[in-house]
Amino acid sequence: MIPANLLSLIIFLPLLGGLVVLAFRRHPNPCRWISLGTASMDLFLILSVYLLEIRVHQAGDWLIVEDTSWIETLGIRYSLGLDGISLLLIMLTSFLGIIVILVSWTQVTSRVALFHFFLLSMQTGVLGVFLATDLFLFYLFWELQVVPMFFIIGIWGHEKRIHAAVKFVLFSITGSLLMLAALIGIVVVHGSQTGHYSFSLFDLVGTSLSSNLENWFFAAFLLAFAVKTPLFPVHTWLPDAHTEAPTAGSVILAGLLLKTGTYAILRFAFPLFPSAAGVAVPVLMVLGLSGVFYASWIALAQKDMKRLVAYSSIGHMGLIIVGVAAWNAMTLSGSVLQMINHGLTTSALFILVGMLDERVNSRQLSDYGGIWRKMPVFSGFFLLFCMSSLGLPGLNNFVGEILILLGTFKVQPAAAVIGFMGMVLVLIYVLRLIQDAFFGEPRTDWNVRDITGREALILVPFALLVILIGLYPHPFLDLVDGPVRNLVLETGTAMNTGAM
Amino acid sequence: MRTILFLLVFLPLAGALFHILAGRHVSRRVVEIVACSSVAGSFFMALSALLALKQGPLRVIFLRWFEAGDFHAAMDVYYDPLSAVMALMVTFVSALIHVYSVGYMRDDEDYARFFFYLNLFVFCMLVITLADDLVFLFLGWEGVGFCSYALIGFWYRDEANAAAGRKAFLLTRLGDVAFGVALGLVFVLFNRLSISHVTTHATELTAASATVLGLLLLWAAVGKSAQLPLVVWLPDAMAGPTPVSALIHAATMVTAGVYLLMRLFPVVLMSEAALSAIAVVGVLSAFYAACAALAQKDIKRVLAYSTISQLGYMFLAVGAGDVIGSMSFLLSHAFYKALLFLAAGCVIRALHEEHDIFRMGGLRGRLPAVFFLFLAGVLSLGAIPGTGGFINKDRILVAVFSHPHGAFKILWLAAVATSFLTTLYAFRLLFVVFLGRSGQSVEQQEIHPIPAVMTRTLWPLAFLALFAGFMNLPAVWGGEEWLAGFLGGVPGTVPHLHISPGIEWFVAMSDGVVALAAAALAFVLYGPVESTRWRAVFIPAQTVRDFFLSGFYLDRLYQAVLARPYMELARILWLKVDEGALDGCIAASSRTFPLLGSVLRLWTTGRISTYLLGLLVGLTVMLGLLVIRFYAG
Repeated sequence: MIPANLLSLIIFLPLLGGLVVLAFRRHPNPCRWISLGTASMDLFLILSVYLLEIRVHQAGDWLIVEDTSWIETLGIRYSLGLDGISLLLIMLTSFLGIIVILVSWTQVTSRVALFHFFLLSMQTGVLGVFLATDLFLFYLFWELQVVPMFFIIGIWGHEKRIHAAVKFVLFSITGSLLMLAALIGIVVVHGSQTGHYSFSLFDLVGTSLSSNLENWFFAAFLLAFAVKTPLFPVHTWLPDAHTEAPTAGSVILAGLLLKTGTYAILRFAFPLFPSAAGVAVPVLMVLGLSGVFYASWIALAQKDMKRLVAYSSIGHMGLIIVGVAAWNAMTLSGSVLQMINHGLTTSALFILVGMLDERVNSRQLSDYGGIWRKMPVFSGFFLLFCMSSLGLPGLNNFVGEILILLGTFKVQPAAAVIGFMGMVLVLIYVLRLIQDAFFGEPRTDWNVRDITGREALILVPFALLVILIGLYPHPFLDLVDGPVRNLVLETGTAMNTGAM
Repeated sequence: MRTILFLLVFLPLAGALFHILAGRHVSRRVVEIVACSSVAGSFFMALSALLALKQGPLRVIFLRWFEAGDFHAAMDVYYDPLSAVMALMVTFVSALIHVYSVGYMRDDEDYARFFFYLNLFVFCMLVITLADDLVFLFLGWEGVGFCSYALIGFWYRDEANAAAGRKAFLLTRLGDVAFGVALGLVFVLFNRLSISHVTTHATELTAASATVLGLLLLWAAVGKSAQLPLVVWLPDAMAGPTPVSALIHAATMVTAGVYLLMRLFPVVLMSEAALSAIAVVGVLSAFYAACAALAQKDIKRVLAYSTISQLGYMFLAVGAGDVIGSMSFLLSHAFYKALLFLAAGCVIRALHEEHDIFRMGGLRGRLPAVFFLFLAGVLSLGAIPGTGGFINKDRILVAVFSHPHGAFKILWLAAVATSFLTTLYAFRLLFVVFLGRSGQSVEQQEIHPIPAVMTRTLWPLAFLALFAGFMNLPAVWGGEEWLAGFLGGVPGTVPHLHISPGIEWFVAMSDGVVALAAAALAFVLYGPVESTRWRAVFIPAQTVRDFFLSGFYLDRLYQAVLARPYMELARILWLKVDEGALDGCIAASSRTFPLLGSVLRLWTTGRISTYLLGLLVGLTVMLGLLVIRFYAG
């Protein structure tokens, strides 16, 4: 029923489409349509996996795996695996993959073919990260996603794009080079112990390491992932990258790239080095919560709307880290759901700011005010996503946040209490954003139209998902329930022995 | 029954959905009809549910909301006498105010948006009233906060209105933090978040955890009910349309805080300390706000401070252990305060948006119907003997006076003093607005005609304001305490106080005398006959009046100590720390770091693209290898 290399097809279909697009360099419109077609096909494939697999779904099992020998001398295999968590994340990836093409329809007019090539190859990189179960393969995809992003920011970005793009790459590769070293380290240790060299995640989990070595390896992995998440205090690349990126770039950054960081922490860093992770839990909680407070506080002072949303992003990701660090079934489910939620809400906010920018050619809050009067439907959408962002119950973020916070309360009440206080700080900057942009009298008498049909087509799916997850998150939580239980069972025990 | 309860909660939500999806495309008439009929339908459901409530409390699950690990949240209701009465009040007052709004908002262009928020509000309020699962309750709890925010700032073009809305949302959310933490604590202690479960197992709590939980709930309630120290948002909330002030900021949402304490009373009851804290917060807020109300010039701000003050009595009653007293006071307050606000709305409309009471005056002749309605509200608010307001307040004072703990006698004294002030400001309002010489505003302008639909909806409220209290007439005066009997089954309640008639008479007499004396004083000071001599004696100096007018400068204090430093620090944190120190540090450390140093050199020589190209080529080779393997193998 399911073709043997379906996962490969899902991963490389976008790249293939990207290569085709390159052939249409002089014809922007075919580029857009081909890209849209490819991305839609990918989403269709993934949704059919979802619909087919959900029926035979066994708790915690890998739903589909793919395994081929690759570079045998080094023990590197081409192995992919799909479980509930990665299924959820690749659904988000392919959904946003379509959205970014629609968003860029009128915003990107120069070098259209190249732009779409990068968009699509980016998607391949992210999908690969979510599906790879061989560490070397994972590393390749991890690096692959950096390249297109660099060019997307560097070529199609705003005024200070080169600076932002370089900063992004420097931060990313610093982390990932260290991770590569640690990765080779654990393979070597594992190989010398068993006589069998392997990069497979399943083989490497449970490798016994001296605690010193384990701590160093974990730190290297964590640094790579923390930069991408981004975790306070290695977040400083993010505001620049977001502010300078074109809307599509911001959406990919917030919606997908950041998720690869938290995903990798819970898929690789914790299971591979459980006792080191157990020791690091308090540190992670402190850093995560600091991120919530620090970023939310700073967000209040922002004058540039995109920068404001970028800082809010850091705060939200901080809470996800808290959830991962608490490592129980509630918080992990909450964190995974929150990855999706953040991907939806923050992307939607970036898209909305992009739409304003497209109309008025400014992202400065001081140039706005009184938008509600001019664009009521647009403002309604904006209000909805703002409320989602501040965790209003009934909308998506609330479900994830309450799971994280209540679950954390069970293991670390103080952290949860501080987390709850973060709710207020988020509210402060969100309300300021709404007030400055939407209320009051219009500050300039620009003439703008309310949302167009294409824009509505983009925003309505976001709105529906935000409400659906808020009121009936079962389809999403059911997917992650099994894998999360396994993670808690396998890694959780090892973490506790480490901590003691 | 299940269907009835479902419709009771979700009809207003359906109305809200209609407005947001179709409201812009249909006529005003349709919006009006949908808005009013959805709430009226909800009221009839509440009525029929009440009549059907025979076989004890009832728990109905509508939807499994979300689950993870051993955690379950459901959308469900726990229907017992307490929530039944509350739901009936909420839907009744809401329905009337919806009808009133049809007249009040007649000329507003954003008609559908207004009724969207109003219907959504009713839904959220019903969730608070009925929810069994505390997480579901939290949905309503935050939902009403959002609706209140949106409606205070409804006329958003004036930045002051929007700022008032923002303040309300923020301060109530400060309380919500405690609610969230309380959720965590309940989850750890009981492993379930259901009110029915928690209240039946409350006795298993240790004193310490009951105290912590009780204080958390108190803080949550303080935020919603605008008690000290989170009072400052409510007076500003008057920036919203008057029906909103009546519905949200007088009759329903602000009572949600104290209602929560009643709903979880068995938990609070386990802790002496929590009970005392509740009583003290109540008395202090009541006294504070009564002082402030005396000096206000804006008709709506008088009523707003009065609301804070009256909510203080409800807290006091809960603290004294008398849930029924608190609930009956809540009901009666809902009627007379909604009445007063709506009548004030008529006055404001008639005088072309005039709010200053000293520019009104002599309105009795010009607006006779409104005068009598307002009079009914003032009599009840002032707790003049013979009104429902008096009976309900008396029950609270009796409960406080007869409390076994000696210190409650002091609280009783403070409460009686507050009663004096209450009657004083209530009659001051009545005399200044309706009697005496016509004020500037009245003389200069034509009276704007008031739609009949606005005044007509007030008569039922006036009736209830004056007489609803008789449902709880104590046995001493030949009453049956019907309401108390009905609520008697609610855990933790004491239906009949069993006080000796002597004490009962003493408390009632003292309260009655105090009220009449205050009314007399108000007549002397503000009545139709000007008496400068008495005014010179009783009216305090300008500085004191300013102090009261500003609400003891509390707002200014918070601005100076909290809001402004927070804003300043945000700027410093951003420019100096984040973009300065932190970013600088990372850049500097990267220079010392050998590995990074080499990368940096790549950049400085402009070869970062070379690096990336290399990466790309490497990847291509690797993948090429894979493809070859794939086909060879």
